[in-house]
Amino acid sequence: MASLYILIPVALVFCVIAIKLLLWAISSGQYEDLDKEAWRILADEEDPVEPDSDAKDNPATSESDKQ
Amino acid sequence: MPPPAEARQLDSPQLCFHCGEHIPANLELRVAIDGEPRAMCCQGCCAVASLIAGSGLESFYRQRTNYNERPASDAPSNLEQYEVYDDPALAATFSTTDDQGRVEASLLLGGISCAACTWLIEHSLARCPGVSRALVNLQQSRLDIAFDPEQMPLSRIFAHIDDLGYRPRPYHTNAARQQSQQQYRTDLRRLAVAGLGMMQVGMFAIALHAGEIQGMEASYQALLRWVSLPVAGFVVFYSARSFFSSAWRHLQRGALVMDLPVSLAIGMAFAASVWATFTGTGQVYFDSVVMFTFLLLLARFLERRSQQRHLFTWSDAQSSLPCAATVRRSEQWVTVPRMQLQPQDTILIKAGESIPVDARILQGSSEVKEAAFNGEHLPRPVTTGDTIYAGTVNVDAALQALVLVDYKDSRLAALQRSVESAQMSKPRLTVLADRIASWFIAGILLVTVGTALVWWQIAPDEAFWIALSVLVISCPCALALATPAALTNAANALRSSGVIVRTENALESLSGCTHLLFDKTGTLTEGALTIAEVRPLGDMQPDTLLAIGAALQRFSTHPVASAFSAIEAATGCEQVKYCVGAGLEGRYDGQLYRMGSQQFCRELAADFPETPDSSLYWIGVCRQNVPLAWIGLNDVERQEAPDVVNTVRNMGLKVELLTGDSSDQGPLLARKLGIETVTTNQTPQQKMAHVKELQQAGAAVAMVGDGLNDAPVLGLADASFAVSGATDLARSQADFVIVGGNLGNIIETLNKARQCRRVVRQNLVWALGYNVCAIPLAALGFVPPWAAAIGMSLSSLLVVGNSMRLNRRTSWQASTY
Repeated sequence: MASLYILIPVALVFCVIAIKLLLWAISSGQYEDLDKEAWRILADEEDPVEPDSDAKDNPATSESDKQ
Repeated sequence: MPPPAEARQLDSPQLCFHCGEHIPANLELRVAIDGEPRAMCCQGCCAVASLIAGSGLESFYRQRTNYNERPASDAPSNLEQYEVYDDPALAATFSTTDDQGRVEASLLLGGISCAACTWLIEHSLARCPGVSRALVNLQQSRLDIAFDPEQMPLSRIFAHIDDLGYRPRPYHTNAARQQSQQQYRTDLRRLAVAGLGMMQVGMFAIALHAGEIQGMEASYQALLRWVSLPVAGFVVFYSARSFFSSAWRHLQRGALVMDLPVSLAIGMAFAASVWATFTGTGQVYFDSVVMFTFLLLLARFLERRSQQRHLFTWSDAQSSLPCAATVRRSEQWVTVPRMQLQPQDTILIKAGESIPVDARILQGSSEVKEAAFNGEHLPRPVTTGDTIYAGTVNVDAALQALVLVDYKDSRLAALQRSVESAQMSKPRLTVLADRIASWFIAGILLVTVGTALVWWQIAPDEAFWIALSVLVISCPCALALATPAALTNAANALRSSGVIVRTENALESLSGCTHLLFDKTGTLTEGALTIAEVRPLGDMQPDTLLAIGAALQRFSTHPVASAFSAIEAATGCEQVKYCVGAGLEGRYDGQLYRMGSQQFCRELAADFPETPDSSLYWIGVCRQNVPLAWIGLNDVERQEAPDVVNTVRNMGLKVELLTGDSSDQGPLLARKLGIETVTTNQTPQQKMAHVKELQQAGAAVAMVGDGLNDAPVLGLADASFAVSGATDLARSQADFVIVGGNLGNIIETLNKARQCRRVVRQNLVWALGYNVCAIPLAALGFVPPWAAAIGMSLSSLLVVGNSMRLNRRTSWQASTY
């Protein structure tokens, strides 16, 4: 049981790290849009057309992509 | 936003597949979506849906969780109105250009109703050539886009978004927006810390509780207490700070709010736990303190988030003005940003454009549509010397006009100011929980002090701990959660049926309303003219007549023309001419047809009869000298309006009609719907006075409206609704915004508000009842501290659970249609 004296402080250190990470993520704007991300992860992605800057620079591709 | 799995079925056959409005009778507009023909309510929806389906983005309709907004106009967007944004100086106010010539811009989008909209916009824009990144932030309705202006100028991006049925505007960062974002992040940080802290302290607490039952060495108990202390301390000082500061702020002003007992409970329980940890006696309550903080923060976070989402989407009156104007500078017409207009400038307003500023006409005659100001459908004819007002629309012909005043002295700005003054005089409801809070605090403090004194006489050793358990057991967790938990759940349920709850306590105010006032144009009615009757005067079949009429009307931008837009036009109409303020003429089959006012028709057919009556707006049709028909137009009421008015009356509210329209249409409509009190020809100020009068007589007034002229009165009413298609200014003032096109949502909101009031009362009764029973027991020393802690948590959970019942949707439409 004496191991508790080490394990609990270790758990606290992890807790501190988790809080730090979370605060960093909030500050960097990753939680700005909770509704959209919650929806997006469950939405069916049938249309894999992604904004890809390389493809856009090529006029041939962009023409065929055009509606 | 509910995940797609819970999405409701958005394909009722009577409703427009795109926007959810009722489909006018006899209208057959269909667009094939996913291989199935879907009914549409207007040309605007038809155009948008065809574009979406045509570009292979149909899955949007399967993914969305709300109806779209009905597009403002039937016509495809005109690129011209957005060309002003290609001006580098104006574009620089909301965009930046990097050294490779790529531009990053931020746009504010109106009309985003759910997450699928962001998907649609992002995917549709990503396919445009030159666009390298498009990201929509749903919370702020903001689009961040990076593109190559050589391939895709900014004006085309604006027009593209407009074509999809959304309303783009430049996004300007301002202090209020930044502050709101800061606040959001701070709230989230506090919530996150409280959540993590709760898990950590909870873990230790389980060990402590188990130890108390099974027996535990004192050294381990001390260890667990000592490690709980810093975690709980951090949560109290970091996360719960907002309660302390709010309680202190209100206390300084002499107001007792719920935050005060909350702060007292958190502070005292924490202080007692720290004392117990240091002295190794008594009981610690770290877990209760942290859990309570977390639950309260969560309820407030959810509440605030749904309100803030629409804080800046609907801004103010200026958003209805064009961003640019054509002005005469050194003998040339140049386009300048509207802000640069000065009094005495000469401006040019083309047909179909909004008027940017109050001005006097120098040259030209036309008609201006002022429906948003006064609810009149038919435009006002104007000519040289007349004054035209900012925010109205020039319908017929180009006008040259002299700018009279700056924006701040315009009639529109005056309206904006009366909106602000209306907000100041809106009756503020003291929240039930806050009213309870003030005597609750006095109550607990008295009981605690009394208990301590009595026990001091009986057993001085135990006095402190018994007094403390009284304080802890009286911790108003359940009481503090009672209202926010119910409001958040009710707002959530309403949001999923297309009603946005914008203001705090709006539901509580609505549940107490005694009067419901309706605006007419655009609220009870569709807000557009439709053909009500064809009265033939000659031998021509009505169908043929309407087809020829429709062919003529295709050449007009007058509001009358929209009544004919759904009718298939006859082919072969030639030499169509539009005569300002009179009507249309054109050749069909070699013969001259005229369509318009009686006077206009009499110029050809001298014996054209008198207008039938004033119940409808009549236009005449003649072929050369033969009178053919009178076509009667009116603004029909929304299909669901009679049911809604009836239901509201049956719910015990007094219904009134309050309209700016001066014609006979108001009383006629009222009679048809069975509304007894009608007040017509009202200016915004008169509307406000009317509502004030009712309020002073002791009534609580709810108002439903849509126009610019309704905005002040929406701000003043105890509770207010803006219906679909409402102006931005009206939405920004309303407590509830109906996104889908159904008035039935008003009933649903009323029901939900009453249900919410019941649940709040149940919660309060439970919370107070629990305290009333538990405090005497604690004062007598019967409640061990651990039972106090568990009882407290259970009573909070019960309140939360009871409030969750509000989340169930009760659909008014489903039961009635």
